[in-house]
Amino acid sequence: MRPSLAVGSQANPGSVSLLKDEAIYRRLFRTALLIRLVEERVIELYPSDKIQSPVHLSIGQEAVAVGACDALRPDDLVFATYRSHGFYIAKGGRLDAMFAELYGRKGGVSGGKAGSMHLAAPEVGLMGSSAVVASTIPHAVGAALSFKRRGSTRITVAVFGDGATEEGVYHESLNFAALMKVPVLFLCEDNGLAVHSHRPVRQAYRLTEHAAALGIAGRRVEAGWDMLAVREATLDAAARVRAGEPFVLEIATSRYKEHVGVGEDFHFNYRTSDSVDAWKRRDPLILDKKLVAELRPELEREIAAAVAFAEASPAPGHAELLTDVI
Amino acid sequence: MSIATAKPLPQSSRVLSYAGALLETMDAALADHSNTFIMGQGVDDFKGIFGSTTGLAEKYGAQRVFDVPLMEEGMTGIAIGAALVGDYPITTHIRADFSFLAMNQIINLAAKYSYMFGGLMRCPMLIRIVVGRSWGQGAQHSQSPQATFAHYPGLTVVMPSSSQAILAMYPAIINRHPGPVISIEHRLLYNLDFGVSETAHRVPLTSYVARRGNDVTVVATSVMVLEALRAAQYVQEKAGVSAEVIDLNSISHPDWDLVASSVRKTGRLVIADTSWLEYGVAAEVCRQLMIRDPRLLSQPPSMLGMAPAPCPTAKSLEDIYYPSQHETVDAILTQAKGPRHGIDLPVERSMTEGYKRFRGPF
Repeated sequence: MRPSLAVGSQANPGSVSLLKDEAIYRRLFRTALLIRLVEERVIELYPSDKIQSPVHLSIGQEAVAVGACDALRPDDLVFATYRSHGFYIAKGGRLDAMFAELYGRKGGVSGGKAGSMHLAAPEVGLMGSSAVVASTIPHAVGAALSFKRRGSTRITVAVFGDGATEEGVYHESLNFAALMKVPVLFLCEDNGLAVHSHRPVRQAYRLTEHAAALGIAGRRVEAGWDMLAVREATLDAAARVRAGEPFVLEIATSRYKEHVGVGEDFHFNYRTSDSVDAWKRRDPLILDKKLVAELRPELEREIAAAVAFAEASPAPGHAELLTDVI
Repeated sequence: MSIATAKPLPQSSRVLSYAGALLETMDAALADHSNTFIMGQGVDDFKGIFGSTTGLAEKYGAQRVFDVPLMEEGMTGIAIGAALVGDYPITTHIRADFSFLAMNQIINLAAKYSYMFGGLMRCPMLIRIVVGRSWGQGAQHSQSPQATFAHYPGLTVVMPSSSQAILAMYPAIINRHPGPVISIEHRLLYNLDFGVSETAHRVPLTSYVARRGNDVTVVATSVMVLEALRAAQYVQEKAGVSAEVIDLNSISHPDWDLVASSVRKTGRLVIADTSWLEYGVAAEVCRQLMIRDPRLLSQPPSMLGMAPAPCPTAKSLEDIYYPSQHETVDAILTQAKGPRHGIDLPVERSMTEGYKRFRGPF
């Protein structure tokens, strides 16, 4: 049985709903699998040094990006982090331009000046990603404030990890959003790790309680492997935000790989593989082998075309070095 | 001798205070651009950032002119987010020192967004910060961070030294300049009256000659432009020395050719900045001249800036911490006639005595 369907069928009993859930599940699954296969391709390519910049892989966390972005309107905006391959793809960014960006080529989204840590696709609402933890959170607040002032029904999503909530600007952003009733969704990907530091040694608070102290409603989703559960939670949260109040949505998830780079890091003994294995036992991208087999060939072709585009794209040079400084 | 009205523009059509010029440009920005808004601590209170935003909240509404919590970084990040979706934010810091709390957003984000995303993302905005001086501002209400900000590519840094500079520059910046601009205003200038002209003497977003002369070049910033102009008038009257004063005006994008051609003419240089000399504007002026032609100067230059220490609060220390009018005059005369020029210096030991209209507590 597909693990995710259990949640969907509980929420929507009946055969028609099941069929609808099945279609949604396939849609989400396809995007999540694309993200995983893209990052596995990055792992394969990395030793070739064709991607000469740090990569922060989201393998294990795909369900968050996919479930959340699917619950948004296309014109809602997402502000993200250095670990945003998943959000870039889930929001609909071009795959060829992404690989060219990772390659540092002119055909990249940002002509090679951004690389993996700064993916952006404003044409589909991914409004940049920053390598400085927590730094895009107030951007989401500011954009949402503008939407509110214009009387727009668009909302924004600030995506960040659990470590970001320790930064002062997180508190500043929540306080302001609560005061001004800014339509922003604070979306925390809680993988329990800040680089190699575990959450219990970093946080004296629970995130939803912290939000509640500021008058902001919040919810924690434990089943962060479940794309449908993330989607449902985001739909609910987005509806509340669209009605005119901020919301904190915290989704438990698991970072399978090392903080930065393409390897695993269990041999450094700061964490064991047990916690990750527990997630893998629920990971639909691992469990649903039938759907993987069905979708994989087409997705691999898409990725191969994107890689070929990147390989063929010229490298930027002196003509580009000093453009767009101001 | 009064400070600002000492040398009115020949074509000036009216008199306007620095704060008045700020208020006019803020008002015009809100009237002309519906996407423009102003936020900062106290922008809507009865003091209105020393009179530069007074009444605007009432006129344009709380959605466009509003107070914020004490959140310099958050406010700047909010401004970036608003700019990314097409609004034009103006933020204020009543002391430049407070902008250091927003350094992450200014330097890591705003300065980078255009370049880092290959031109995909832009966050044009105006960050107004005010330098304090005198009346015991002390170590944390007195810093003048033009060199710090101008060091980072992606930022445009200006230091308007007069009402005319504000009237000319702000409309060219607000909603027009493609990137983030930091305007470093000076508290001592706020209450001074200046002659302004609606038609002539457009101050560009770069350096300009504030006073023509032949004997010594004085490159100055902000309130030191006024000090240089006063000193230039003094040395002209007392010693027949003709000083050319260049207002650097834009710190990030000065007109170095203008500076170099003036120094080529005079061979003598005084640099008068509002901050420390080390790794600052003074150092950069020298670097720019050196790489053009090390023979431009006929003798070592003179430099005026803050003493190399944090700013003291005691008036007796503050008076010797900043360059006085007497030191500015002495620097010009030393350049023109040598250190034993023998010419009487003005007896205005405390520079701020000239700025009688400014009284604390801010």
